[in-house]
Amino acid sequence: MANEYDVVVIGAGTGGYVAAIRAAQLGLTVAVVEKQKTLGGTCLIWGCIPTKALLEHAHALKVAQSAKEWGLTGIDGAAVSIDMAAVHARKDKMIAGLTGGIEMLFKKNKIDWIKGAARLAGGLNVEVTLADGGKQALAAKKEIIVATGSTPRSVPGIDVDRKKIIFSDEAIHLPSVPKSIAIMGSGAVGVEFASIFKSYGSDVTVIELLPRLVPGEDEAVSAELERVFKKKGIKVLTGSKVTAAKAGAKGVDIEVQGADPSTGSGQGQKAQKLSYDLLLVATGRGPVTEGLGADQLGITMERGYVVVDAMFKTSVPGISAIGDVITMGGPHYQLAHVSSMEGIILAERIAGHAVQPINYDHVPRCTYTEPEIGSVGLTEAQAKAQGHEVRVGSFPFRALARARMAGEVDGFVKIVAEKKYDEILGVHIIGPRATELVAEAVMALRMEVTVEELSKTIHAHPTMSEAVGEAAHAAHGAAIHM
Amino acid sequence: MPQMGESIAEGTIVRWIKKVGDSVDRDEPLFEISTDKVDAEIPSPAAGVLMAIAVKEGETVPVNSVVATIGSAGEASEARETGETRETTSPSARPATSGNGAKHSAQADGTPGATVAAPAPPSTTNASPASPASPASPASPASDDRHKSSPLVRKIAKEHNVDIAQIQGSGIGGRVTKQDILGFIEKPSDSRSFDSRSARPASEPLAQDGPHSVRPGAGATVTPMSVMRKKIAEHMVLSKRTSAHVYSVFEVNYSKVDQIRKAKKDDYERSGAKLTYTSFIAKVIVDCLRRHKTINASIDGDNVVYHNEINLGIAVALENGLIVPVVKAAGEKNTLGLSRAIQDVADRARAKKLNPEEVHGGTFTITNPGNFGAQFGLPIINQPQVAILGVGTIEKRAVVIDDAIGIRTMGYLTLAYDHRLVDGAVADQFMADVKKGIEDFDPSQV
Repeated sequence: MANEYDVVVIGAGTGGYVAAIRAAQLGLTVAVVEKQKTLGGTCLIWGCIPTKALLEHAHALKVAQSAKEWGLTGIDGAAVSIDMAAVHARKDKMIAGLTGGIEMLFKKNKIDWIKGAARLAGGLNVEVTLADGGKQALAAKKEIIVATGSTPRSVPGIDVDRKKIIFSDEAIHLPSVPKSIAIMGSGAVGVEFASIFKSYGSDVTVIELLPRLVPGEDEAVSAELERVFKKKGIKVLTGSKVTAAKAGAKGVDIEVQGADPSTGSGQGQKAQKLSYDLLLVATGRGPVTEGLGADQLGITMERGYVVVDAMFKTSVPGISAIGDVITMGGPHYQLAHVSSMEGIILAERIAGHAVQPINYDHVPRCTYTEPEIGSVGLTEAQAKAQGHEVRVGSFPFRALARARMAGEVDGFVKIVAEKKYDEILGVHIIGPRATELVAEAVMALRMEVTVEELSKTIHAHPTMSEAVGEAAHAAHGAAIHM
Repeated sequence: MPQMGESIAEGTIVRWIKKVGDSVDRDEPLFEISTDKVDAEIPSPAAGVLMAIAVKEGETVPVNSVVATIGSAGEASEARETGETRETTSPSARPATSGNGAKHSAQADGTPGATVAAPAPPSTTNASPASPASPASPASPASDDRHKSSPLVRKIAKEHNVDIAQIQGSGIGGRVTKQDILGFIEKPSDSRSFDSRSARPASEPLAQDGPHSVRPGAGATVTPMSVMRKKIAEHMVLSKRTSAHVYSVFEVNYSKVDQIRKAKKDDYERSGAKLTYTSFIAKVIVDCLRRHKTINASIDGDNVVYHNEINLGIAVALENGLIVPVVKAAGEKNTLGLSRAIQDVADRARAKKLNPEEVHGGTFTITNPGNFGAQFGLPIINQPQVAILGVGTIEKRAVVIDDAIGIRTMGYLTLAYDHRLVDGAVADQFMADVKKGIEDFDPSQV
């Protein structure tokens, strides 16, 4: 006899576990199938959270190294270094607390965690191969939620051995700081590790195929990040392609086509041979559907992703999907907070609530480099391409008292608006607390706030958020403090 | 048919927003009407299903006529199953409006000279004998409901003169979003405008066939007049027939007003008001009307009514017509208050959000042909008033000052007055007073 639940969730990442909790809150019985040893998925085990731990250590290191500037005595800044064993011990303890917290929430909401690998068995049935090799049958009375997520993916020609040529999964628990590291790809994952390893003392090179860093961000943000990276001594090779990578005993030999690595410029150069301790492949992530049996059920797939509609329904009735594993017919944000919101909305729909589809134009994008990047909505180039008569306002953190006191003066807030109705189309922040500051911008876009309303919103002094208000003023002519 | 105002006897159904069988929420727009005062969307007095429509689009019926029946959802499906349309009112079915369909007239008591459709002062209007217990109409066209929207939506609405209340919101809690309003604006205006001319046959031709009958030439289009257009035509001809129009034109130097306006404009803007030439003119007119009682009066049969209140009508051009909203108790307002009130009624006139009470009861009217560059106009009096001021374009002109030629900001003002009551000397004394008021405008009054 199959164990029956209203909802069976496959995968306990930020999409699946949040969907499970929301469904349980709404009175549904829920089982979650997860094969990992802990709950939380990529975000908690290999992604967002461990990298933020490494980032906080980098921040502590930076303060200690500049002890003299801060007037801290008893510390020799030049002698300060980082103990990776201690870093990992603290990080793992924090993460154990968080994944344990999800287990507590499951108990509180009477959600059953079935430990094993799930396979769609037809209809509303799920077959679980348990950790001990046994089988367990589950049946959903209402709906199955596929939330199996994604995993790092390489590009053709680059074989990842997970020792010298690694993914982010390995990068988060390197036993020691590499002397040198090359990073392929300058999306959020690539530039975050570039920032972290540079802080830890590595010699870092970022290699990006496209002409600029963080190519998904506004061009001004890319330019500012590149400027700061170069100032820190990170080598930036844009418009460059890794054509070969060979792992050896001591390190990795790579060939880079494109820019001149000594100057970081000069397109169309001959292939350069370079050597590093490690090569981190951060070129993207692909869907996890192996063993799921989605194909056999006839679920429509696209490039390996599960195709869903705006209400997350797959082509097979009774089976829905959320998070990194889905596509709605184009690129889909592979972000923890997106999957969580999808989980909430899906759970509410299954519980019979009237729900609204997600507006994916209002998704905040956060990159935890130093300086941080927080952005939402259209870039200036996208806004122009869509035919808007664009109005832009920028304000640099350098002009802000709070930023000066913190010693973090790089970056700016840039507002992209349109002239006709004064609508805010996008907000692009690079600088201190950018990932927090973007929250106001997300709300502004969702509530359809005009630039004028934003400029008349009182921003507390002295805070970093003043830069948002000032950028709004700038969009309408002139910032006060410029 | 709701009673939209004391003096309104009938209304025309312009459009049914809901079809028979549609479910409707309380206060959801049910149909659009046009009366001789205002056009309005009528919200449903109750939630349920529209079971029967008794008055078709284009038909004109007396106020308090039953125009439709709303029943509960169960009844609706029952009715559909049996193919029966319920005309009668069952216990759970509520008529859209109450009342017995009795017609009452706006005709003033025993006053053969008074007009039928023109706004009559309250003292001379019949009380509604048919529905003494229900003085308020069940559905007020301009309810105070706050409609969920956003700053952006409100800005778009203002730009396009769209009433947000007419838009079905798709956001959480029915919030009207940018997409909703842009979708609404893009809809062909025929499907939402009050003035769906092509849909409505002319119920009664305005001009009888006669010597002026028109033979449409090749390529000409023939469309029935809108209700508003017919009413304007009626009122204009009636006024010309009623009053002995005489005109007096004065040239006025606005240089001082211009200076004050430039100095104070920003202050006004900061407090959310626009300081326009009309602000100054309205203030001077109000002050002068207080001193010249004959101009702020009405003829009621053999009597003259000298109004105590000064209610200032402001002619507002609409896309397909004209409306004269009234700033009530204008005499009690300062320049700032007048500016605000004029802007408010004008904005709402364009957005079709006026209350019926706001388009009658005027005692004097200002119209502004100069807006479009006219040097001066010869306006028609808005009955039952006895005078109307036409404001000509205001521009810099070369003028003679103390045997020298100077450049001054000048404009013409026309007073059209009813010689039955107002003699030339009275009118010109009034106008001289107005001219002086504008030319020597006291800056402390702004």
